[in-house]
Amino acid sequence: MFLTRSEYDRGVNTFSPEGRLFQVEYAIEAIKLGSTTVGVRTPEGVVLGVEKRVQSPLLESSSIEKIMEIDHHLGCAMSGLTADARTMIDHARVTAQNHSFTYDERIKVESVTQAVCDLALRFGESVHDEDAMMSRPFGVALLIAGIDELGPQLFHTDPSGTFVRYDAKAIGSGSEAAQSELQDKWHKQMTLQEAQILVLKVLKQVMEEKLDHHNVQLAQVTPTVGFEILDEVRLKEIIDLM
Amino acid sequence: MDHFPTNWGRPRNDAFDPYGTYPIHQRPAVKDNFAEGVQHTQQPIVTGTSVLAIQYKDGIMMAADNLASYGSLARFKDVRRLHAVGTSTVIGASGDMSDFQAIQSILDDLVIDEFTHGDGHDLGPAEVHEYLSRVMYARRSKMNPLWNSLLVGGFRDGKRFLSYVDLLGTTYSAPSIATGYGAYIAIPLLRAAVDGKQDQLTEEAAKSILHECMRVLFYRDARSLDKYQLAIVSEAGVQISDQIQLDTTWNFAEGIRGYGAQTQ
Amino acid sequence: MPDGSFAHPQQRQFNPYSDNGGTILAIAGADFTVIAGDTRQSEGYSIQTRYAPKVFRLTDRAVLAVNGFAADGNMFVKKVKQRLEWYRHAHAKDMPLRAIARLIQTMLYAQRFFPYYVYNILGGIEEDGTGAVYSFDPVGSYEREACRAAGAAQSLVQPFLDNQIYFKNQKAAPGTTHPAHLPLSDVLSIVIDSFTSATERHIEVGDGLEIYVVVAQGRSPQGLDAFRGAQELSTQPNGDRMFIIRRELKKD
Repeated sequence: MFLTRSEYDRGVNTFSPEGRLFQVEYAIEAIKLGSTTVGVRTPEGVVLGVEKRVQSPLLESSSIEKIMEIDHHLGCAMSGLTADARTMIDHARVTAQNHSFTYDERIKVESVTQAVCDLALRFGESVHDEDAMMSRPFGVALLIAGIDELGPQLFHTDPSGTFVRYDAKAIGSGSEAAQSELQDKWHKQMTLQEAQILVLKVLKQVMEEKLDHHNVQLAQVTPTVGFEILDEVRLKEIIDLM
Repeated sequence: MDHFPTNWGRPRNDAFDPYGTYPIHQRPAVKDNFAEGVQHTQQPIVTGTSVLAIQYKDGIMMAADNLASYGSLARFKDVRRLHAVGTSTVIGASGDMSDFQAIQSILDDLVIDEFTHGDGHDLGPAEVHEYLSRVMYARRSKMNPLWNSLLVGGFRDGKRFLSYVDLLGTTYSAPSIATGYGAYIAIPLLRAAVDGKQDQLTEEAAKSILHECMRVLFYRDARSLDKYQLAIVSEAGVQISDQIQLDTTWNFAEGIRGYGAQTQ
Repeated sequence: MPDGSFAHPQQRQFNPYSDNGGTILAIAGADFTVIAGDTRQSEGYSIQTRYAPKVFRLTDRAVLAVNGFAADGNMFVKKVKQRLEWYRHAHAKDMPLRAIARLIQTMLYAQRFFPYYVYNILGGIEEDGTGAVYSFDPVGSYEREACRAAGAAQSLVQPFLDNQIYFKNQKAAPGTTHPAHLPLSDVLSIVIDSFTSATERHIEVGDGLEIYVVVAQGRSPQGLDAFRGAQELSTQPNGDRMFIIRRELKKD
């Protein structure tokens, strides 16, 4: 199958005769190699969870950063080529700050998601005299969690620049199993604590290692506190509750 | 990275987008190496005096004399200060005549551009006035004004239109408008005769009001001429008259004492 | 010098500004706001037109009054409206009043070194349903207030509002306190009185008066029925309601 693509999978801005952009599709494939990342939305807030693959006992697990703050009311978890996410989150942060500077209000979750996705297709050749653009699509997918006047929301973005809103979403290597588990367990009136436990349970199912407070990370966005990454103490408490 | 999406994918030289159709956040201005040497209009040189215009029953009428002065010298006595733009608009100009000629050529180009689209749309008086106000305001904002006060009048889709725009980009609309000394001398007469009666005023009556005002202006405005043209815009389109001669009498001047060279 | 020479080199510069007179005014109630302006446009001693609106509807719940140099004012309103439309497209909602206020600040300050020579007063209903007035200086300093007058007759009208709205120099009757907010009918009377008085005493004020009234969703526009010819401008059946009242002012 891959052999037949060979003529059209090089140029990042060349469509195949079937109308596909293979480099973008490959980028989406790259995410499936990433570690599992889960997001769950509840009426009380949104919970994000990631698996941190600790490849070596000498690795400082706290240095793995897969959940980041965009603004007070916005957080983001990633899977795939996490280095690519820096560009996107940098843009999301600037966009959010710029919005609150200009409008004295918090940017909507969908708007910041849209802003990030606007970046996704800025690869390819640049016009004469213009700033050089990116040479390839992003190899990362994001789960953007946040709260605005429409309540708690969870968005998924992929390298094609498409974004969709989810009640619960898993991305990364274990996403298929995780997603079907979420489909079974998620319900409308979930509490925040139930969501925290659900995220951990789903991660536990798809992780090869035994889940503990070193190899997972949880974060949440709530109306009262906004975005926060749960520290090891609170993480431990939730793990004990599982 | 440039965080303003409106700049993405666009060339940094706005030669590609001369009209600035898109929001510009950070685009650098095109640098003109000779900018320092370019002079801006600081004062009008060859000038036209008042333009008068009124609404009447069937459209609008506009009058301006045929003089272009060089200071106090009556330099050109056959100048046309009323100019048709398209088929339903007329503009009248006071102020600098070379700037007015620049405006005429800008508007003529605009009309040709619009015509070559061949889409059945053409510019009416409201569009011409809007465009002209943009041009005038843009030029004043560059501290390089087109030194004119202009009236734009027209008739289109059963509606008359009459508005003003000047070198500052100031605009307004009224049933009777006059520029220059006309604003002081003719406006009181025009308002009394026209305002509130636009819908009843006949063509003949409107003509005679303007004629009378032009005469008063010729008597009182030292930079005016006893020869003027009248533009009528109505359902029938734009008609700009031949030159009209004002008849005046000056014998009363002999009886005036207190001014001039009389010895007693 | 008497001989026609100059002692110092002189430079005449084109002045890109003018003052077109007129006055604007806004008063916030508990759940409504009134924004008004006269319609005369003048330059020097000449009345250019008797009808040039200075008050503009921006959204279903926001009204902007602009006073000063008319060309800048019209351009500014045009640009604000353009930004509101972009915002609507980008964020799928109307811009809230306080966001418009901040936007106006950033737009004015962006022109800090070639300012829009205009005094803005923004009025409308906040997200929490309260009436609000924001006033601005030409370079973007702004604050939320209960009332504000600006323009040619500011110095005549503002002291009157201080007295009638803020009850400055008034003692409440024994055992009573001054009300925090006045009812709509009182506010409308104060607005009309302000403009008739300003028309009497200031040559640049007169001809016509346009009063916009914005009433919060679910609140009755009580007191408006007493004013003949109020025309409703609301677009949503159950949203905030907006009205305009037009009055003649003296034309001399």
